[in-house]
Amino acid sequence: MTPALGRRALILGLGGTALACARRDEFPERKTASFWFSYGGRNREVLEDLARRFNASQTHHAIRPVFQGDYHEGLAKLRTALAAGVPPGLTHVVGEVVPYLYEAGTLEPLDDYPGAHELGLVPALSQAGAWVGGGDRPLVALPFNRSTPIAYFDAALMSALGLRPPKTWDELIEVARALTLRDGGRVKRYGFSSPVGWWFWAALVGQAGGSIVEADGRVSLGGHAGERALALWQRLVHDEGTMKLPLGRDYDAWEAVNRDYLSGRTAMIWTSTAFLRYLEDNAAFPVLAAPLPADRRAAVPTGGTYFVVPRGAPPDEKEAAYAFVRFMLEDDQTIEWSTRTGYMPVTLSAIERLRRSGHYERHPNAAVTLTQLEDAFPWPWSPDLFRLEREIIRPLIEDTVLENRPPAAALEEGRRRIAARRRP
Amino acid sequence: MSPRRPWHPWAMLAPTFALLVVFFFYPLGYAAYRSLFSWDLLTPPVYVGFGNYTELSAGGELARLFGRTLLFSVVVVVSSTSLGLGLALLLNRPTRAAAFARGAVFSAYVVSWVSVALLWLWLLDREAGAVGGLLGHLGVSPVDWLGSPGIALYTLAGVTVWKLAGYSMILFIAGLQDVPAQILEAAALDGAGPATRFRRITWPLLGPTTAFIATTSLIASFQVFDVIRVMTQGGPVQATTVFVYAIYEQIFMDLQVGKASALVVVFFVVLMGLTTLQLRLWTRKGGAET
Repeated sequence: MTPALGRRALILGLGGTALACARRDEFPERKTASFWFSYGGRNREVLEDLARRFNASQTHHAIRPVFQGDYHEGLAKLRTALAAGVPPGLTHVVGEVVPYLYEAGTLEPLDDYPGAHELGLVPALSQAGAWVGGGDRPLVALPFNRSTPIAYFDAALMSALGLRPPKTWDELIEVARALTLRDGGRVKRYGFSSPVGWWFWAALVGQAGGSIVEADGRVSLGGHAGERALALWQRLVHDEGTMKLPLGRDYDAWEAVNRDYLSGRTAMIWTSTAFLRYLEDNAAFPVLAAPLPADRRAAVPTGGTYFVVPRGAPPDEKEAAYAFVRFMLEDDQTIEWSTRTGYMPVTLSAIERLRRSGHYERHPNAAVTLTQLEDAFPWPWSPDLFRLEREIIRPLIEDTVLENRPPAAALEEGRRRIAARRRP
Repeated sequence: MSPRRPWHPWAMLAPTFALLVVFFFYPLGYAAYRSLFSWDLLTPPVYVGFGNYTELSAGGELARLFGRTLLFSVVVVVSSTSLGLGLALLLNRPTRAAAFARGAVFSAYVVSWVSVALLWLWLLDREAGAVGGLLGHLGVSPVDWLGSPGIALYTLAGVTVWKLAGYSMILFIAGLQDVPAQILEAAALDGAGPATRFRRITWPLLGPTTAFIATTSLIASFQVFDVIRVMTQGGPVQATTVFVYAIYEQIFMDLQVGKASALVVVFFVVLMGLTTLQLRLWTRKGGAET
């Protein structure tokens, strides 16, 4: 083979490969939006299935899902893209950062988009219901994967021991004690486990009758209710020895809680409704879900993420992004997303359809997530809250519980640090 | 002798210099500049002078961070160097068993940090880990290797030592093979025992190797990240939050670009200072003995 022929063959070969690898779009004129998402595992599969279905059904719009790591990593990349002026057409962010992104002027108001106020959203999960005063502001967030904390049990074990899910904190202590199995000095099975983190503490504070931020905007950290919440964890961990502290922090701790539960090392856990299907499919025992117990009252925060459209995205991308959001909020997709993951259906019509189809009778665990939604409380519209949580509240909760420090002094220290904190 | 074309050396240095400027000096200078602002990438930066530095030091955060990182580094450098030297002395022999053992020890070094961290995460699990099981058979109570604030940092240092020991061992073996056999034989003929030969001949001649290992281990230990990200995420509480992890947390979790930049600058100064000090000490020591 001569060198010239070799070069020609190489060029032809590379060209052929490039052509073979090139993706052909049936409708090349479609307006396409990138969708930055933060799911792994089953949730990612479901989302990509739905995106494929959207693309197959459209002649004018298309969506290109791009995985961006967990919520924290996704947010860091979004900020970088916003600063660089090249945001995606669509992304989803945790509720806590929506006020921050909105106040920074980075989110597209969706009020004027067709039908944005006629989506029939579940009030507690929509912007209007999920934040205090959320309805008084421009619409910038539409619910996507919404959840609440929930309790999961090994149903077979509960039944064998003649136990029922606890309805109060006192019962929680009793049930955790009964579920704990010891062998000499070793604990073979813990009765209870939960991430010692912000979301679950917020639930406990609400149950104890307080709120982390008062109506006037003052960060009280729940006052006496905040102390009771920390004291409950301290009692379970240090005095009772029935609560297992999961390894790791943030979402790693959540995963550790799930692992311990699935491997039978913990019999009762608190985690998100998001893991309902995952736990049901992977547990070697029947899974029982129940609402969190009450103290002074029943209360849970909502969690999960919202669709947001970055304001700086190109108009065509925004249009395609909104078309995808509308598609995802149609009953078929809302129902599929919810039933295949465990996240709550976010539209009233989807819930009604599920009810009529007998879904909740067949899946009582899924019904629990809806029942508990009646006790959900809204978050304050605070652009700074997620920073306070990261920098001050989270380490404070962790330190107080692990080191068994007096809760009142710890929270006082937290309030002092929050008051002294310089704004960024 | 002067080069025929005097610009040749500069031209040859230019690509490296350009890379250093683009990927090292400019980012460092930019970080130093940004450390004077409070900025979250989204809202306009606010000039705060040395506010980020004073905030970090006034709360004691910087001192705690430095102390933790230094403790981690001391444990890692001393242990990995000592272990590497011990293994090198043990395995520096031409047998198949020694060759296999060398390969086995060194294999840890070529495995990725994430794999190492995941492996040890499983081994050290309080209830189900192999380490706990082994100790349980010996009557030792379960130890919360990664969940106890007083132990977690040492545990991570131990994992790091496990990984780095193979690297030290290989370099020490290379150093040992450079020690002239005639000198050792002459010393033996003069009646010097193995300990004396090691103390008077081998150890001084290993000086440059030791300095290199200690310096690179120091830098590696200061830069530790993956093992912390996978195993403890800086916890429990802040017990394993060392410098690089704190920088990551500030910028990716807390969205504080200014504070993260201030930490980068401090980190650079500290690392530069320690490396210089260490090399100076070794050079002086080597000079005195030669």
